[in-house]
Amino acid sequence: MKIIKQTGIIFTICWLSIIIQQILPLPIPASVIGLILLFFCLLSRLLKVEHIQEKSDFLLSNMAFFFIPAGVGMMNYFDILKKNWFSLLIICILSTLITFAVTAFSIRFTLSLTKRRK
Amino acid sequence: MSEIFESPFFGIALSIFAFWCGQMLNKKTGLLILNPLIIAIVLIIGILLLFKIPYEAYQQGGSIINMFLAPATACLAVSIYAKIQILKDNWLPILIGCSCGSLASMLSVYGLCRLFGLDDAMTASLLPKSVTTPIAVSIAESHGGVVPVTVVAVIFTGILGSILAPVLIRLFHVNDSMTAGLAIGASSHAIGTSKALEIGETEGAMSGLAIGICGIITVILSLFL
Repeated sequence: MKIIKQTGIIFTICWLSIIIQQILPLPIPASVIGLILLFFCLLSRLLKVEHIQEKSDFLLSNMAFFFIPAGVGMMNYFDILKKNWFSLLIICILSTLITFAVTAFSIRFTLSLTKRRK
Repeated sequence: MSEIFESPFFGIALSIFAFWCGQMLNKKTGLLILNPLIIAIVLIIGILLLFKIPYEAYQQGGSIINMFLAPATACLAVSIYAKIQILKDNWLPILIGCSCGSLASMLSVYGLCRLFGLDDAMTASLLPKSVTTPIAVSIAESHGGVVPVTVVAVIFTGILGSILAPVLIRLFHVNDSMTAGLAIGASSHAIGTSKALEIGETEGAMSGLAIGICGIITVILSLFL
């Protein structure tokens, strides 16, 4: 019953976030609205972590598994991939590298500035 | 013949079997490139093609697994909440880091697309590729991109991020868990986050935080395109 209750709480939040998404004019996906909604529920003590602990541990520790169907969907786009695979590959690799580096270094730089001020 | 594959149990069982194979192979060899997610995807596509099972039949079960992505993303709130003190103490570096990361991602994709001579539709499809799938798709759509290309690029970037994350952490000497997590989330969204969760609790929480912040910043940036 515990797991069923926890699933109920989390699925209700997901459903509410779909309703909010319909109302909002910006293209923010329901899953991100769900993240924000659950965060504020926890922040405002409307929900306690114990209310959803086990279910959320299950979902988070198996995150990679849930991406399998999305990845298998690639097989429908083989023709587009075949035409551009090389440039796609290089663009993805380089921009992932650049994004990682810029994020890491800009945080390090800001951290060193704020520390110096203190 | 194909109706026996139409049951959702087929797609779910196949996915679990393929993922289990992936994890076994990954543990046995210890090779980063043999990522369980990649092995599972390749294995399933191979089996479907080999036995001429239509994608739609697999998707009966696949769509049920896919449904769990939204609650899993929402649950990142739990891990962020557990690290709320880090968020309170470092809100400025976190915000600046995610903004710079999102901007760097879009600018680098734009530059590289020009370099490779890709057309406007391809460029629009690739621009939002570092953010989570649903945000990326809606941005690509509103700028005249080809949605399937976006989906493939987003997933590929995520898998790439989850393979490269441990290497990049060492390469750039990122010895702070918060910085590592944010950089993983900013560069490779939720698939990268699944790897960050394996590296550590703080890494996972910060990576999840970066998905949300970078997603929203990218939506705002794309309004100026």
